[in-house]
Amino acid sequence: MIAGNPWLDAFLRLLVVATGIPLAVIVLNYLERKVIGRVQNRLGPMRVGPYGTLQAIADTIKLLTKEDVRPATADRWVFELAPYVVVVPTVVALVALPVTDDLWVRNLGLALFFILAVSTLSIVGFLMAGWGSDNKYAILGAMRSAAQLISYEIPLVMAAVAVAMVAHTDVGRGSLNLVEIVEGQGRVPYIAWQPLAFFIFTVAAVAELYRQPFDIPVAESEVVGGPLVEYSGIRWAMFMMAEYVNLVLLSILASLVFLGGWNWPLGNEVGPALQVPLVLLKTFLFILFFFWVRAALPRLRIDQLMAYSWQVLLPLAFYQIVVNGLALVYGWPDPILGLLSGGGMVVAVYLTYRAVRRPVRRPLAAAQRMGV
Amino acid sequence: MLGVIRSLVTAIGVAARRPVTIQYPTQKKELPQRSRGFPVLLWDFQNDEPFCTGCQVCARYCPTDCMTVTMKDNPKYAEGKSPRKKIVDRFYIDYGRCMRCNICVEVCNFDAIVMDNTWRSVEMSRYDRQDLVMDLEALLAASKSGRLKNPFRTPMGMAHSGWRPKEEREKEAVAASEEG
Amino acid sequence: MALQQEHELETIDLHINVGPQHPATHGVFRMILTVDGEKVVDCDPVIGYMHRGAEKLSENCDYRQAIGYQDRTEYLAQFNAEWTYCLAVEKLLGLQVPERAEYIRVILGELNRVASHLMFMGAFGTDVGFFGTPFMYAFREREVIQDFFEAVTGERMMYNYFRPGGVAWDVPDDFEEHCRYVIDHVRRGVEELDALMTDNEVFLARCRGLSPVTPEEAINWGFSGPMLRACGIKHDLRRAEPYSIYDRFDFEIPTGTQGDVYDRYLVRMEEMRQSLRIVEQALRQMPKQGPVMAEGLKRTIRVPPGEVYSRTESPRGEYGVYLVSKGGDKPWRLKIRSAAFCNLSALKNLVVGNYVADAIIILGSIDIVLCEVDR
Repeated sequence: MIAGNPWLDAFLRLLVVATGIPLAVIVLNYLERKVIGRVQNRLGPMRVGPYGTLQAIADTIKLLTKEDVRPATADRWVFELAPYVVVVPTVVALVALPVTDDLWVRNLGLALFFILAVSTLSIVGFLMAGWGSDNKYAILGAMRSAAQLISYEIPLVMAAVAVAMVAHTDVGRGSLNLVEIVEGQGRVPYIAWQPLAFFIFTVAAVAELYRQPFDIPVAESEVVGGPLVEYSGIRWAMFMMAEYVNLVLLSILASLVFLGGWNWPLGNEVGPALQVPLVLLKTFLFILFFFWVRAALPRLRIDQLMAYSWQVLLPLAFYQIVVNGLALVYGWPDPILGLLSGGGMVVAVYLTYRAVRRPVRRPLAAAQRMGV
Repeated sequence: MLGVIRSLVTAIGVAARRPVTIQYPTQKKELPQRSRGFPVLLWDFQNDEPFCTGCQVCARYCPTDCMTVTMKDNPKYAEGKSPRKKIVDRFYIDYGRCMRCNICVEVCNFDAIVMDNTWRSVEMSRYDRQDLVMDLEALLAASKSGRLKNPFRTPMGMAHSGWRPKEEREKEAVAASEEG
Repeated sequence: MALQQEHELETIDLHINVGPQHPATHGVFRMILTVDGEKVVDCDPVIGYMHRGAEKLSENCDYRQAIGYQDRTEYLAQFNAEWTYCLAVEKLLGLQVPERAEYIRVILGELNRVASHLMFMGAFGTDVGFFGTPFMYAFREREVIQDFFEAVTGERMMYNYFRPGGVAWDVPDDFEEHCRYVIDHVRRGVEELDALMTDNEVFLARCRGLSPVTPEEAINWGFSGPMLRACGIKHDLRRAEPYSIYDRFDFEIPTGTQGDVYDRYLVRMEEMRQSLRIVEQALRQMPKQGPVMAEGLKRTIRVPPGEVYSRTESPRGEYGVYLVSKGGDKPWRLKIRSAAFCNLSALKNLVVGNYVADAIIILGSIDIVLCEVDR
């Protein structure tokens, strides 16, 4: 990038991010419909443009030209500002996200912390959307979505912190700088030593993105649309944009932190011409995984979802942190860490298995149930 | 966890197969011979007139009362060119009311009405409901133009049950008793 | 005591209208749920949005014209509705249906049962939260079955094919070959649906243990069909009162243990496999030639005075037709006992005490067809 004038430099880097976002949203929207279509044994969009490639543009035009409907009793400012409060934090979080060791907008010392903290602010946006809509379904949905997002943010952050604790750097262990985390994965990616953190991160990411199996706040067949039910046209499009940007954010984050980013397996010396496609490929694998999971799993109920987070994911995240701490203090080599973490994964799988094969609650007497 | 993995593997297995979509309207699936579109009248190419004589049996048996039929003296019979004494004068079917039940085809005495089994009879969208009321010209168009190649005309209903008019039954009884 | 009173909050119960227009109510059905937090405290179902007067209209039609209305009443198991009606008329007339017609009826009726259960799988999967994947798989198989029905009768949904005395016309020449293809294809599709849904832990977590029903409760509430069999009662009209030629076939009756939503799903999944078994046996036993209509019927059927109640095992339960005839060619009274209506009448007992999200799933598991409920 041009390193002359710092203002020009910053402007050009931001320009890349700003143009990348709509492009990513359009491409991902089309890709999601095609991939889910293939999983369901059908073609996706095919009519608009060759093989349906212009479908996202047609959808954008439709959304832009829709009438701006606002409920008369809606709280005006809260209702109208909510989409912005959802979109802006995710875009701001992209500022600290590096794609190679030279391609970033800002190489923050605490990039990981910054990204996770800023993207949490979208929760407020969903609450504003639900409250400002003045609609029973919207309020129900907003409460559920706030509960879900908060309770899955914690395991997400814990898993990321666990990896950040034991990241190899030039001066020892532990770093929040994403570039350093990636550079420490030259020989082995962190997924090998921390499979439990990877599992927790992935599951929590699916919940953060409102995708099956955790999409009860925006469930269409129940509370129709949840907090987004009163939004139409471009405002709804902004929520969708936020979802896709968040998807890209979390996928790149996962590929940097767990899969070795641009470093593994090609190493740091290879130029950006090979490193950028490598990062994009890993990101793409994650995105495909999220689409795949969305197509194949039903959704959990809100209390099951919360129970899973607080009773399964959080204790295991704590376990991972404790194990990492012990490894740091006693200087255990990485394979031992990997082994203990793998043991944690087995426990996670077993707990999931047990949670759904609970013995059945015997039915209450009919009269008691009817409240007579 | 294993069940979830089984679901995911099944989903991926399906994704690897060819999609089953037929892209209508550029591709259309082949309609079977018995496919029931809307009823149309058949044209008798030998005598150059419709088979239909306007006897109103189909109109009487229609569950939705969608047909209006009138009959007139056949001018061709007077000239000796056709064996039909009467011929249909006016015939209206309201495709908007027709429920394609096939009863008119079953009861027709002259095998003059069939269900149109081509795609044009399925693609019957119109902008105005009045355009769905078909008159005699429109009903004969399918058969006259040759578009209706292979309509379904198997003996059905009453003919299937072995019922025959009284004279024929008496004739058969006489023939059977003569043999035996 | 004082402490307890201090901590009791004043809450208001929320009335949520799961309205006639809703993506999940399987038609125009309205439920007024009274909700305390997330738990349903009261449920008030409102039906009648789909009432079209099918029974009254049938009184204006003669016995052949009324068959079209039976189709449209039970629009997912049409052959079953036509069959029940034809059985009623045949009982009054004392007709003997020829063998070949009986076998054709069994084959088509059982394939229709498979198609109806496939529709249930699709709709239920969408209710539980799948993004449309079981829906697409189920409908892919349903298309194969509907194409087969189109090749035989000419229509994909409203067949109007059974007649009192047999079937309207004979089957095409490639019937057996086409039928075997359908059985193989659908069997593979059913296994695929099974692999996708049955063992899925998330699906289990949603459905296992939800609204269990004891056998006594089931009998008291008037359940029939898969809802009854899921409670453990092995009652199937095809075994208990064999109509047509069902006593010649060898099939199992799947039952559940607790009567919860998951058991109902399992029972329907297994019933699909058993139906395919019956179709195979019927194909083998079917006579190659023969009449498909009873002898000597006139164009207009006149039924002697009398009344009869005939019932069959439809995919939803016991579907009955009570026919009163006062002579003449039109029925005097045609009353339909629909399975979905009787199963749905217990909705309040099933839903109260569960969460809102589960209310939708319970409604889906009853497998209602609104036209049957409202007639």
